[in-house]
Amino acid sequence: MLNYIFNPKTIAFIGASEEPKTVGSGIALNLLQSKKKIFFVNIKSKKIFKRKTYKSILDIKEKVDLAIIAVPCAVVNKVATECALKKVKGVIVISAGFSENNNKERENELKEILKDIPLVGPNCLGILNTKNNLNASFAPFIPKKGNIAFLSQSGAIIDSVIDIARTENYGFSKIVSFGNEAGLDLSDYLDYLVKDKETKVIAIYIEGIKDGRKFLEVASKVSKIKPIIVLKSGKTELGKSAALTHTGSLAGDSKIYSSVFKQAGVIEVDSIEELLLTAKTFSFNEPCLNGVGIVTNGGGFGVLAVDYFDALKIKVPKLNEGKNPFDVLGDALADKYEIVMEAMLRQKDIHCLLVIQGLQIMTEPEKTAKIIVKLQKKYGKPIIASFVGGESFKKAVSIVEKNKIVNITEIKKAVKVIRYLTYEK
Amino acid sequence: MNLLNFKDSQELFKKYNIIIKDTDIFNDKESVLKFAKKIGFPVILKVFSDKIVHKTEKGAVITNINDVNELADVYDSLDKKFKDKEGMMVQKQFDGREVVVGMAHDNTFGPIIMFGLGGIFVEILKDVSFRVCPLNKKDALEMIKEIKSFEVLTNFRGKKKVNLNKLAELLLNLSKLALKEKEVVSIDFNPVFLNEKEINIADFRIIIKKNA
Repeated sequence: MLNYIFNPKTIAFIGASEEPKTVGSGIALNLLQSKKKIFFVNIKSKKIFKRKTYKSILDIKEKVDLAIIAVPCAVVNKVATECALKKVKGVIVISAGFSENNNKERENELKEILKDIPLVGPNCLGILNTKNNLNASFAPFIPKKGNIAFLSQSGAIIDSVIDIARTENYGFSKIVSFGNEAGLDLSDYLDYLVKDKETKVIAIYIEGIKDGRKFLEVASKVSKIKPIIVLKSGKTELGKSAALTHTGSLAGDSKIYSSVFKQAGVIEVDSIEELLLTAKTFSFNEPCLNGVGIVTNGGGFGVLAVDYFDALKIKVPKLNEGKNPFDVLGDALADKYEIVMEAMLRQKDIHCLLVIQGLQIMTEPEKTAKIIVKLQKKYGKPIIASFVGGESFKKAVSIVEKNKIVNITEIKKAVKVIRYLTYEK
Repeated sequence: MNLLNFKDSQELFKKYNIIIKDTDIFNDKESVLKFAKKIGFPVILKVFSDKIVHKTEKGAVITNINDVNELADVYDSLDKKFKDKEGMMVQKQFDGREVVVGMAHDNTFGPIIMFGLGGIFVEILKDVSFRVCPLNKKDALEMIKEIKSFEVLTNFRGKKKVNLNKLAELLLNLSKLALKEKEVVSIDFNPVFLNEKEINIADFRIIIKKNA
């Protein structure tokens, strides 16, 4: 049922405009970049970007799959009624001025008008689908293709994320700004994405969940098939009625959401940076069991890593041949890394490697990088590289990243990502 | 908001196999003394009233009563001090490690179950875990192990590991109750005493909807 939202053949945009720096022109220009059939609707203008403009969606003769509405909120429901009459197969309402603005009534009316038609929004940025180059939003541009789906309650975060991703080594399958969820809710998108071939991992930013019990049920099923990573802001609201018991008052200021995420098998992170880094790691790797091998050429890095792993209850199993972390020592050449890494990868209770390299005079970063790539392909276990330095490691980092191996300079962050990747703690 | 009385609470718990052992409520001294002799000393005596939410703070709970004479005296003084009450609750003085178990309703997720260790662990450290109903056995054991002070329940300072299965059973029974009994707003079992063999609920509080 969401197929017409993400893969429409024909699109009508109601509220199109030519005026620079407006939502109306932003969306219009974005839509023109896709190879879809686009109709502009505007009650006043005759031509927009040299295209014929319709006064109403009902004036368009062809069938319309997707209608995008960005008109003043007072007329949204009138326009939506015309969309229903036109029998469109999906609607995105960009306009704000609904329940988020205490106008619950207007939102309920919209919901009623479009009750048989999938509805994204209102109060949202829109959706993006990289597969067919569809930017049905006012996000400034379409990001690189990739296998991460991103669902966000905040449109601003979407804009920033696609800009951050520009210079990063990952891409997106679909991006949805779901707004007030008057029609489709978060669980509906999860249901769609679990079957979406382009999506391997689902990243979410939320402030609150509309239907908690539905989310628990759907997310529990989806997370068994595709990893779900969530960044949640704000706290839960508990009924005042419950404050007479301990349970009630403790739940009020506590972590119901975090408990739900655990129960549903959803990975909870605590910053935008972690959300993206974790999504990227899952986009390159499969989740693994608990047990990490650490190779380093500096004792200090190894000790730091073990401290961090220990605090997060990640096992650092003893090596059959040697110590873990294994310090190859400062004068180690790449071949020594290879021997140790291979011993670790062969060991049954080691499910993931953290390969750390600091810069010493004999260090061979590029050679080491190539070995990491080679051994990762040979053994299939996740490897996180941590080239601790800057300019001198640029080439090495680009070698591993090109081969879908994540490099994280800060060891603490690398450790945290490995913990998220570990599904049995 | 109403506090459910003793008899109705006990009836409700029974439906879900939640048994409040060695505990009963009476309105006369003779029966209190008789029941105490039957369950054996030491006992505790509590005033049970829907007007008193915080019994301990109001001085409505006397613990470690060692014989009949002492019990008779305590009865008289509490009886005089608290006129408006459902009755006097006599209970065996349980021992073991104290935990807290509860349920409440979350606006987004519906009925939830809480678990934590008693005393300062819950009051000050707020070291508690939550799950949304329905719970399965795996959820129950996970939430027990999730609290930071879980080690207190294992072989700790010469004490034996408590019976975690009995604890998980209570969480599961409470989850069933929470999903079925729509009038129940919130429940506290606080404290619950756990040792290596058994589980004993020493105090409970059920809040029901006003018009239920």
